[in-house]
Amino acid sequence: MRYFIIVLCLSFSHIMVFGQGTKRISDSGAYFNPDISVIVDTYYQQSSGSEGIAHILEEVSGFGHSHGDAGHEHGPLEGLNFREAEVYFSVNIDPSFYGYAIIAAFEEGAHIEEAVIQTTSLPYGLEVKAGKLFSNFGRLNSQHSHYWDFTDQPLIYRLTLGDHGLNDMGLAASYLAPTDFYLLGGIESFQGDNEQMSAYSGEDPLPERLGPRVLAGWLKVAPNLPSKHGLQFGASFGQGVHQEIHDGNSDGTDDHWLDGHNQFWGTDFVYKYDSMKAYGEGDWILQGEYFRKDGDLVVRRHDLVPALVSRHKKDQKDGYYLQAIYGIMPNWQAGLRWEQAGLVNSERLPDGTRNSFAPSNKSSLALTYRPSEFSYVRLQYSNGNYETSGGSENISQISLQLQISLGKHGAHKF
Amino acid sequence: MKRIIILIILICGICVICGSGWSDLTADARRQAGEKKLNVLTTTSDLKSITEEVGGKYVSVKSVCEGYQDPHFAEAKPSMIANARKADLFIRIGLELEVGYEPLIIEGARNPKIHIGTDGHLDASDGVSLLEVPTAKVDRSMGDVHPFGNPHYWLDPYNARIMARNISGRLQKIDPTHSTWYQANYQVFIKKIDEAMFGVEASAKISGDKLWDAEISGKLDDLVKQENVALGGWVEKARHLRGMKMVMFHRSWTYFINRFRLIAVGEIEPKPGIPPGPAHLRDLIQKVKSENAKVILTEPFYDRKSSDFVAAQTGASVAVCALSVNGKPEVKDYISLIDYLMDHLLQIK
Repeated sequence: MRYFIIVLCLSFSHIMVFGQGTKRISDSGAYFNPDISVIVDTYYQQSSGSEGIAHILEEVSGFGHSHGDAGHEHGPLEGLNFREAEVYFSVNIDPSFYGYAIIAAFEEGAHIEEAVIQTTSLPYGLEVKAGKLFSNFGRLNSQHSHYWDFTDQPLIYRLTLGDHGLNDMGLAASYLAPTDFYLLGGIESFQGDNEQMSAYSGEDPLPERLGPRVLAGWLKVAPNLPSKHGLQFGASFGQGVHQEIHDGNSDGTDDHWLDGHNQFWGTDFVYKYDSMKAYGEGDWILQGEYFRKDGDLVVRRHDLVPALVSRHKKDQKDGYYLQAIYGIMPNWQAGLRWEQAGLVNSERLPDGTRNSFAPSNKSSLALTYRPSEFSYVRLQYSNGNYETSGGSENISQISLQLQISLGKHGAHKF
Repeated sequence: MKRIIILIILICGICVICGSGWSDLTADARRQAGEKKLNVLTTTSDLKSITEEVGGKYVSVKSVCEGYQDPHFAEAKPSMIANARKADLFIRIGLELEVGYEPLIIEGARNPKIHIGTDGHLDASDGVSLLEVPTAKVDRSMGDVHPFGNPHYWLDPYNARIMARNISGRLQKIDPTHSTWYQANYQVFIKKIDEAMFGVEASAKISGDKLWDAEISGKLDDLVKQENVALGGWVEKARHLRGMKMVMFHRSWTYFINRFRLIAVGEIEPKPGIPPGPAHLRDLIQKVKSENAKVILTEPFYDRKSSDFVAAQTGASVAVCALSVNGKPEVKDYISLIDYLMDHLLQIK
């Protein structure tokens, strides 16, 4: 919330300064001011089942609970949702640096989605980014929600990385090879505070692990294809420190502490076909990602069963999604997505118990109308079978999303 | 943790060493092979064609857009970013035509040589007299309006001369060893344009600059009478098109019809970049009838349905025309692009 107020004050002070100035001053001011745009994302959603889809997603077997960050209710809620207004600022800072900041404001407050300083003039195809940023691993992780082809993110993202994906304070370096085809590789280091992937407490008796606690690397390769076709493959790997504190007997006090790490790796592809017709008619986008996570934690202290200290808790989960988007007529797109989470979904607890859970799956159908590049309306229907401790639950969801983009907004990556 | 830091430093180090070694190797290999071609990446095929005319054997040119593609909406494909990584010069049409993909290519390429404002980045519109520059405040309720003016200026042969001058000037600057070559090729190219425009006889007797000055100020007929030469070329052909009323799908041919004095009475698009709805088409049909427009000119990438509908209601004929080099197989270079448009319109007339 504080950030939002600061931003508001800043923008008002700009308006006041330039509003009173002469035209010449306001012109040169506009020249060096950052580009500003605002994306407003709002939707209506309804799901079958008594407790709503948001609740079910917390209960999927093997994937545990997501806790969310304070003050930000994790959707989708039943009924009318205002997901967020994303305020973008971007500007070339000087001959060496480019900077951008994205502030997501929602009803209860605001948080910094990204605030990044990026080099622009390093030699040899190198680039370094620092600040709060999205990891470039996978395909969807670095994409903001307004660029998604469906209203919600795929299950495997939501269940293993939470609502915001891998987004953290970090340092990222990447290298574009001078090859005839596209070859981009990157290595990233993050402080590590993702609830599902790299939660860290450091409180006694857990060991202190100084940051950065997450390391990730990725590679993207694109062959040269004739102009109507575009194809890109990606592979990613990452590892992060993870700590858990549990209240095993639910008496209100913590009783066992675990420390270790999570590893994850994934692979992704996207194929785009450009029909060369106007307004996106006849265009295809095929896209898929596979993602796997392996956890290995050691019990550091156990007040209920001290014998379990030093025993390991291991778990493996994976998931994938496949989607196709087709331009059915000018400015209209239809999308189909199939996904599964938990094909591998097993754990071995410190006491030697082995559990394995069935996968959850979901299929979605989306119809998007884009009156221009700056707005869209999307109707989406999803049906999923979610594996929970109470058995498999079948949930249907329907949503109607309206999204608009005001101001000068950067183009979207391939 | 130390391990992680060491690993990062190591990998960065390897990247730097590979990077420098790699580009040095390729540069060495080129030097040994005796070919020192400049790598040029243009946004459109027209820029590519003109750059090849001016640069000849000393340039290797690639274009982001194909000739049959809508130059507003290309995708910043990874392969184009890979090309931009190695480019010595990036050339654009400008006026925000390429705003949807140029920033991604330039940022993604990590090639400081082609950053905007450097010698490796050229806006070919420099010096072009722009049309349809908005005089009032613009906003997006007006569609994809270009705040700096209509960017389709390459379809006026006079502007092709300016583009060639800009390209030749920049090639001379970044590759001064071959500057006489670029200058000579530029002269050859504008001579070709002048001959195609005014005919071989007129351009042999009168300098190209003088002919164009007269053409622009509307005194071409006086000049040729005074010099006692016959006009030929596009100017002569275009006499049959003068005053022809037509409708465009998008305002892609504004500069062409302005140069050759055709008259546009409307567009199929209600606003730039916005597909037509029934109300707009009804109004347009009325206009086509009352103005007695004969031709509906449309780009290859737009759906023909709306154009065919208006044509059927009014008796006008639809012409689907390439607006860039390679937009049709017979359009091999810039001169043949204007030839093609001229002949196409004359046939319909």
